[in-house]
Amino acid sequence: MSKVIALAIKDLRLLFRDKAGLFFTLFLPLIYCVFFGAIFSGMYGGGGVSGMDTAVVDEDGTPSSQLFIQTLEKAAEINVQTADRAQALDSVRRGKNVACVIIPKGYGAAMAKPFWGGSPTLELGIDPSRRAEAGMLRGILTQYLYLEIQKNISDTAKLREQLSGALEEVRASEDTDPVTRGALMLFLPALDGFLGSLAQAKDADGDGDGSFAGFPRAKIERIDIARKSKGPLPTNAYQVSFPQGVIWGLLGCAAGFGISLVVERTHGTLVRLRMAPISRAQVLAGKALACFATTVALQVGLFLLARVAFGVQPTSVAMLAMAVICGSLGFVGIMMLLSVLGKTEQSAGGIGWAVLLVMAMLGGGMVPLFVMPSWMRTLGNVSPVKWAITAMEGAVWREFTFAQMLFPCGVLVAVGVVCFTVGVWAFRWTEEG
Amino acid sequence: MAPAMLTLNNIRKAFGELVAVDDLSLEIARGEVFGLLGPNGAGKTTTVNMTVGLLAPDSGTVVVGGGGSPTSPAVRAKIGVAPQALALYEELTGEENVVFFAKLQGLSGRRLTERVRWALDFVGLWDRRRDYLRTYSGGMKRRLNLAVAVVHNPQLLLLDEPTVGVDPQSRNAIFENILALKEEGHTVVYTTHYMEEAQRLCQRVGVVDHGKLLALDTVDNLISDHGGKSVLTVEREDGETTVETEDPLAELNRQQAQGPLLRFRVDRPDLERVFLNLTGRHLRD
Repeated sequence: MSKVIALAIKDLRLLFRDKAGLFFTLFLPLIYCVFFGAIFSGMYGGGGVSGMDTAVVDEDGTPSSQLFIQTLEKAAEINVQTADRAQALDSVRRGKNVACVIIPKGYGAAMAKPFWGGSPTLELGIDPSRRAEAGMLRGILTQYLYLEIQKNISDTAKLREQLSGALEEVRASEDTDPVTRGALMLFLPALDGFLGSLAQAKDADGDGDGSFAGFPRAKIERIDIARKSKGPLPTNAYQVSFPQGVIWGLLGCAAGFGISLVVERTHGTLVRLRMAPISRAQVLAGKALACFATTVALQVGLFLLARVAFGVQPTSVAMLAMAVICGSLGFVGIMMLLSVLGKTEQSAGGIGWAVLLVMAMLGGGMVPLFVMPSWMRTLGNVSPVKWAITAMEGAVWREFTFAQMLFPCGVLVAVGVVCFTVGVWAFRWTEEG
Repeated sequence: MAPAMLTLNNIRKAFGELVAVDDLSLEIARGEVFGLLGPNGAGKTTTVNMTVGLLAPDSGTVVVGGGGSPTSPAVRAKIGVAPQALALYEELTGEENVVFFAKLQGLSGRRLTERVRWALDFVGLWDRRRDYLRTYSGGMKRRLNLAVAVVHNPQLLLLDEPTVGVDPQSRNAIFENILALKEEGHTVVYTTHYMEEAQRLCQRVGVVDHGKLLALDTVDNLISDHGGKSVLTVEREDGETTVETEDPLAELNRQQAQGPLLRFRVDRPDLERVFLNLTGRHLRD
């Protein structure tokens, strides 16, 4: 065993001295984890929502428009920067702001006429390259606009004043058709009477200031599906990005150590190792041990970082350990198989990475599986990457039981055993084969 | 003769149509420095590879240390090899390379430390032990190759063209090392196509070509049996005369008696001539 350990230590030394290899094996996965975690931090909560930078122009200059701007400033979904029309349009054109919202003249007057003759209007300009956000922003603005209208009609005295004004305008209006006019002449006084009796009743009870609580508003409430519904969901984008990033580390280790076996053959060191009093099995075991140790250390390191720096708390440390070990075993086997794919360092590297990239594409290492069409998700079953991600996610946020962990972990171990066996069988010890 | 350290019994190895080693038999005594002399492609490296167990002979046997096949790791532990192709790790330091291979030979603890120091001292690389191999010159790498081969104090040392591509200074250093090993009583098999190396270092030399052993004896006997006569070349004003002779001095006196000489040259037979006479071609062809 001491000779196998000596072989493994040699490989680890070589790995740590190969700066490019080290980058691809250790730091690229870290960059992946952090980068994609940061990008998708708004998707799962926990990471906070980053607001859209939006220029707001107040051309109306009324208390209503100022109140609306204050409301927008408090909104988490947008970051408000006030500007004039020219500045706002220019900032969107330059890509400094995602959009601009212009409150045109007449906004305040329209807000004061909720029943007759008023229709508050906003102008919205969107960066043409950010069309995806346009619909979202339109929805957000509609929500806050109706909130303002609701605030307006929540004040009974103000509402009755607006009703009185509207009634006078209807009476004075000569071009309104008689049917509409008749209906309004019945409805507006009736509503005024209703509000008056409501205010009297509240004052008599002494439990209010006579204000109207408003009409019931439609609500959309968020449900914590992770805990209450049929299945858990990630609550933090890093719970998704770290398993995916770890995969790139596993792929890097498999490629790196697989290629290093080819390098040992082409540089003649493999022949020299065979001249030493060790068996062929020990030579390969040394390489496998180095690869296993590196993949385990990589996963442990990344998940510790995820815990400390990004709040990724696995639902079960024991399950995560199981996923880490089985993932490592699987990719050690893949490493051995990659070492027989090419005769030279270049061909082994090229073919090896091509195979690994296909595995990553199909298995959700590049794009999360849940955004893939169903046929592609089914195809992904052939990729060990899928099972490694499933096992890690099972331990990190999917709340897998031990029994549920057995299948992905079993697949990984089986892949490892089969690939290692085939790799050893097909391995060429000399350049001649 | 001392008991045999290495015995090759009628070994044969072919790669397809090419017969690399053809019915080769040798017996090398303990403490002997034995030279295997032949041009490139003569079958020297294939013989070394069979001796160390890397290749299995198609027929015949290899016996190391009086009783064991080199396919067994225990037997291989008795052998130290400096392969012709430098097979060391460029991204490890000189010391790390030696330590690594010493560990594979089963050394550990204090003995490991002592032997690594001895080996690096032996080849004159102790001061450069912490430098990466990639910073070494070709000659230094060859010397480290030797250090790796001797670090576990093997009974049998196989040196396959150990001076290929090295500067004169490193070549001399390697010669000194081999002579020191000879003094210590190590058994050394030295393959080379440089006849002067075989002549300088080896007690006995086997001449091989196309996988066959053409002659085997001490250097003096090979020269006397296959080297032919010395060649005396004398130059006079009227031209140059070449004479083959067994007694160059007597022939020179006879030539001088025939008239004044401008200059003369004596070419004594050597292993190069032995090879030429045995094969009809030069060692470096």
